[in-house]
Amino acid sequence: MSEELLIQKAQNGDRAALAQLVKNYEQTVYNFSFKICRNKERAEHTMQETFLSMVKNIGQFSGKSKLSTWLYTVVSNNCLMLARSQKKHDYSSIDDEDNLISEENIADWKITPDQISENNELKVILDDAIQNLPAEYRVVFLLRDVEGLSTEETGKITELSIPAVKSRLHRARAFLRNELNKKLSYEH
Amino acid sequence: MNTEKATCKEVMNHICDNLGEELDSPRCVAIKTHLDSCDSCKKYFTSVETTIQFYKKYNVEVDDNTHKRLLDFLGLED
Repeated sequence: MSEELLIQKAQNGDRAALAQLVKNYEQTVYNFSFKICRNKERAEHTMQETFLSMVKNIGQFSGKSKLSTWLYTVVSNNCLMLARSQKKHDYSSIDDEDNLISEENIADWKITPDQISENNELKVILDDAIQNLPAEYRVVFLLRDVEGLSTEETGKITELSIPAVKSRLHRARAFLRNELNKKLSYEH
Repeated sequence: MNTEKATCKEVMNHICDNLGEELDSPRCVAIKTHLDSCDSCKKYFTSVETTIQFYKKYNVEVDDNTHKRLLDFLGLED
């Protein structure tokens, strides 16, 4: 059954269609929530709140944008709200254009992405690095580079202009690369 | 547009700016030429690409209990 038909049925009160929509997107929403929160408990809570919002508001969904875009928006807003209520990030390293991209400390890395599933130490390094990245940058990096959304879709979800998305993506890539380089390069 | 030799710093900036985009302006061609012959910039390029791949491949699965708790929370149990 097409997504459009499922949404129509769900809007007409069909609970099985609603449950099917939840099933279709639970993996995407949970994974994206985890990638933002880096904590399974918080990711589950975010997923539950996101789908609760979908269930409550499915009647108002106009179909102008994709349902996935709408779900990404809810998760992103939840993350940004949470971040505002938590500790403030240190923006100095990401705002320092000269040090963000440096010709120093360029080395090969001792590990490859294929080793991620069985390497818990690497998971901790990745979690730590992205948690040091301010949420406004983290969301852009995850939507654009990790989830593979277009720059335009990322801008729509985050309510940022195209140049602002590009600027944040540029800084997020350089910042994360530097954080991982400290831990993964052969010279350290 | 400037088509002079690109510097390492400029190439590294370009990598972070345009990774994944097909650009063929004269300046981009100069940057690609530099990248082909500069070991440092190649390593930088690889490390930025690897950074993205790490986060793409680090995934978590919804297990049966999490799925059940979700449907229960939403009042949509089977």
